[in-house]
Amino acid sequence: MTSYRTFRRSFDSIQDIFAFTAEVFASEHIDPSLLPSVDVTVEELFTNMVKYTASTAAVRIDMTKLAGGVEVTLTDYDVGPFDVTQAPDVDIDRPIEQREPGGLGLHLIRRLVDCVHYEYSAESRQSRITFRKTQAGAPTSDRGTVAGSADAHD
Amino acid sequence: MLTIDFGPNGVVVIAGRLDAAQSPAAQAFLDQVQGTVTLDCGRLEYISSAGLGVLLKTQKRLMGSAGKLRLSGVNRHLQDIFVYSGFDKIFEIEPAP
Repeated sequence: MTSYRTFRRSFDSIQDIFAFTAEVFASEHIDPSLLPSVDVTVEELFTNMVKYTASTAAVRIDMTKLAGGVEVTLTDYDVGPFDVTQAPDVDIDRPIEQREPGGLGLHLIRRLVDCVHYEYSAESRQSRITFRKTQAGAPTSDRGTVAGSADAHD
Repeated sequence: MLTIDFGPNGVVVIAGRLDAAQSPAAQAFLDQVQGTVTLDCGRLEYISSAGLGVLLKTQKRLMGSAGKLRLSGVNRHLQDIFVYSGFDKIFEIEPAP
């Protein structure tokens, strides 16, 4: 079963998003050990939408239980394309003097979830980012799978 | 929800979830600490990149004046995040027992 909800495009929505993910995990009996990675990934993707797009539309989040895990999709409306799967990794071996926090969110999600898929429709100006987190695919320090696609460009 | 305050012996105790909504409050508190500071993370349940930014900014400022931020009581989720972000190389980290 898929559960979904829409959230106002604001950092103030983060608590409501966490309440939603916890509610779905409980009602669908999804392994609770997967929840922190799902929450971090949803937060990073959602805050990226809040910070870097000019849209005022709400963001929709869908969650579907899978065998041994969960699939989550964030749909962003009235936006241009931005393929999060193409964001560069952060060089984590740099000395602290050269480290900056920017870019860490997208770097992290590649390691926390099994796969991330990006789709953009220029016709409807919608972007959809889908990721999966399962017990079987839980990475240790390896990158997850990433894939991007767009059916057209602005 | 996040709380951050001084505990016994000058340790800073942080509890709850250090996410993008809570990070400004944590940053405002940590901007006031000086020297070598232990951050007790025993009741910190969650951290995202926004929280990592708070820790990194604080560590850079303290190291600039010969101090540092130590992290203690770090749970498994936090440890994973610190390793993936390379923070295990720039912080002294004591795992939760």
